[in-house]
Amino acid sequence: MNELSVNDLHLDYGSGAQLNPILKGVSMHLQRGEVVALLGPSGSGKTTLLRAVAGLESPKSGTIDIGERRVFDGASDFEMPAEQRSLGLVFQSYALWPHKSVFDNVAYGLRLRKLGKGEIDSKVGEVLSQLGLGHLGARFPHQLSGGQQQRVAIARALVYNPPVILLDEPLSNLDAKLREEARAFLRELIVRLGLSALMVTHDQAEAMAISDRILLLNNGKIEQQGSPQSMYETPDTLFTAEFMGSNNRIPGKVMSRNGSAVQLEVAGSTIHGTARGSNSGSEVAPLIRLEEVKVSATELANSLELPLLTCMYLGDRWECLFASGEISLRAYSSYRLEAGRYWLHLPADKLWVF
Amino acid sequence: MPTISLPGSRLNWPRGLVVTTACVAIFLPLYLIFYQSFLSAPFFMPGTTFGLDAYRFIFDDPDFALAFKNGIILATGLAAIAVPLGGMLAFLMIRTDLPGRGWIAPLLLVPIFVSPMVMGFGYVVSMGPVGFYSTWAKQLLGFIPWNIYSFTSIVVIAGLTHVPHVYLYASSALKSLGSDVEEAARVAGASPLRVMLDVSLPMIMPALAYAGVLVFFLGFEVFGLVLVLGDPEGHLVLATYLYKLTNKLGTPSYHLMAAVAVCLVMVTLPLVMMQRWLLKSANKYVSIKGKGARQKLMPLGRWKWIALGLLGAWLLVTIVLPISGIVLRSFVQYWGEGVKLADVLTLQHFRDILEQHSLMRGILNTVLIGVIGGALAVVCYCAIALAMHRKPDGITRLLDYSVLVPRAVPGLLAGLSFLWVFLFVPSWLDGMLKATDNGAAAWLSAHAIPLLRELRSTIFALWLAYSVVWLAYGMRLISTALLQVGPELEEAARAVGASRGQVTRDVTLPLVKYGLLGAWLMVFLIFEREYSTGVYLLSPGTEVIGAMLVSLWAGGSADLVAALSFINIVLVALGLGIALRFGVKLHN
Repeated sequence: MNELSVNDLHLDYGSGAQLNPILKGVSMHLQRGEVVALLGPSGSGKTTLLRAVAGLESPKSGTIDIGERRVFDGASDFEMPAEQRSLGLVFQSYALWPHKSVFDNVAYGLRLRKLGKGEIDSKVGEVLSQLGLGHLGARFPHQLSGGQQQRVAIARALVYNPPVILLDEPLSNLDAKLREEARAFLRELIVRLGLSALMVTHDQAEAMAISDRILLLNNGKIEQQGSPQSMYETPDTLFTAEFMGSNNRIPGKVMSRNGSAVQLEVAGSTIHGTARGSNSGSEVAPLIRLEEVKVSATELANSLELPLLTCMYLGDRWECLFASGEISLRAYSSYRLEAGRYWLHLPADKLWVF
Repeated sequence: MPTISLPGSRLNWPRGLVVTTACVAIFLPLYLIFYQSFLSAPFFMPGTTFGLDAYRFIFDDPDFALAFKNGIILATGLAAIAVPLGGMLAFLMIRTDLPGRGWIAPLLLVPIFVSPMVMGFGYVVSMGPVGFYSTWAKQLLGFIPWNIYSFTSIVVIAGLTHVPHVYLYASSALKSLGSDVEEAARVAGASPLRVMLDVSLPMIMPALAYAGVLVFFLGFEVFGLVLVLGDPEGHLVLATYLYKLTNKLGTPSYHLMAAVAVCLVMVTLPLVMMQRWLLKSANKYVSIKGKGARQKLMPLGRWKWIALGLLGAWLLVTIVLPISGIVLRSFVQYWGEGVKLADVLTLQHFRDILEQHSLMRGILNTVLIGVIGGALAVVCYCAIALAMHRKPDGITRLLDYSVLVPRAVPGLLAGLSFLWVFLFVPSWLDGMLKATDNGAAAWLSAHAIPLLRELRSTIFALWLAYSVVWLAYGMRLISTALLQVGPELEEAARAVGASRGQVTRDVTLPLVKYGLLGAWLMVFLIFEREYSTGVYLLSPGTEVIGAMLVSLWAGGSADLVAALSFINIVLVALGLGIALRFGVKLHN
């Protein structure tokens, strides 16, 4: 069953000469117990889409349904105010009310729903302990660490059991070390409580780690959607391939095509690749993930011979930069490479030609 | 687990009421001015006809032309003095290690909060022909090296007392300017003076331009200073011309006053709208530059003493001389050449005030209108600001411009137009009720109308006029506070199910609490200072110090004026002291 459906949503900022379309016909759905990530570069409309679902932005046309309830219908000009949608929303900045204690921040939604005092106490206590905040109820937001503030923001959004919880860049305000812990905590929490969640992020690693499904937005449209694995391993477009991982772009010309097999000419060598996407012309963008490039000191088939420029130590491995003329390739190595020339093997099925 | 849903929907904030009331309070007085200016006699006289007689009269009056010309000269001269000095002062106070900045900063604001009427009087008693410092100078030099009553002196004094207005805007712009641009100039070999002239001040040009328009506009509505200082040699500006018209023809010449008022508003209204436009572009300029970065003060080195001397001279002429003059004058019996200060010291003037019932009531009223009226005004401003808060629609845009309109109406005119409102509305309502001829209307006409008429001679009339006159100022205070509430704090409340009214009550208002208290204090100071708005509303029961100063001055009782001025200064000083004690930001 769909907890959330968005159908052909259009949204503009400004009007007249300054009309700036932000969403250009986005459709999506979210099933019960599913976590969907809205991924995209800044300006792609992902936060706007989330805010439109929450009722904080007014779309121009399309529909939004939460469960059985229609909350926005462009055709009949119906828009349910944000406060009646009963969604949970976690802000990027957390937006904790500085004048209320942790307990009062969380309890506010229940007070608005006119629950009795005993019921409020027990529900707030329950959600705070679920988030490991049981002892912090009397504190004020400024007395908490960043990670604790984030959990209060989540508790506040969860306390009245919203059908869908919306998370706007939930991890981006935490420092790098804390972010990885929070990522694991968030995934665990979502699975443990069986939440349906829609999360906005610009970090593809975060999106892949937390969500069941990724919607990649580009310039107000959905570029591609699918499981994290399919998005990473079988991108349909150049944009998706580039956004989801670290890549080498290889300047090459098409020599011949045979089905999906493509023969390229790269700096005098002949390289085999695999066609992806819908481009069947001669102007192509060949691309390979960094981790698929194999470095060898001896000659291999389907490889380019390049001199080593420099190596960068990353802790668990080395990232090495090879370049000659207009070709520049990066590859991983488990040990530091000596200066010299190397053969870089590009597996034909991993060299995507868009 | 089922989602806990909200109980049934509730009513929205009664925005319409706020918007309607605000618009009536803003536009009805203005409308009356325009209406009256096209009549041939005061509107309550029988047999008045529409026409341009009033305009014809004033345009033929050589005094009007003179007053208009003087007004332009005064405003231009004032801006020419205040803008460079204010910019320099801001640079010294904000960007350099000038010694004593801490205690100079609050002093700089004194001319803003002391009524110009008081300042003008202070100059008369300290530097007038028989002022304290004049007689002392004469003893030393054998002659008085200045003439405080010449028009040039008036322009210079007006310019010097308006320096703080420029300082406020220039200093807040300078605060948001990163010091790296100045350091770059120092490293390249520029002296502090060159840095200021070549880098700092040009970079805050939009703020200076805004302040320039502001002081030009303030110069155009200068009233108290010219009333006091311009009288002996007969220098007129539009506001004093308007004031003198009262007595010019013997009868209340409301139509002529209205015509003058329309001419004044025709000049000031475009200036106010220009200010708004400039402010917008100035803000843009600042935000493009982005981060205020860290501020490193620039060492002045040997320039320190020159700067301190300049600042000291300004403080001496603008604050020390007039204020000390008033303090001295309020404690001496009389003053003239050859009088020894020790022989004439007295408390008699204050005893006189104690014995005069109307004066005591005036002091009480001044305190009341500042404390209670100030609080009520803040409540009203807050209601209007909330009606506009994060609702970007046509009504907000309408209010946005409307609240600026009273700014263009000088206090003297606003008082006059509210007098007309209180004269006009009850009789107009009465006429309407009598015409409808039914029981309820007759009852209302017999009971409600007299009540409405009585409002004119209550302090409510004065409070209403004050609140409308200072609407734009108050709105700026409140909206500055409101803007500091992050939008996501309010959105978070809506997302958990709070209606707009509940968001306001539970999130927005608690968060701006301290901002509102600060605004209350600022409005208190402004209401204590106000003098011209009360002039035409002055009647038994509505006396306030400011308006009484104008009328006592006209009556020539310098002793009482001195003592009342002293009390007024004390009230303002108390307010300023409380503000500083509680760390209220006196400007942003």
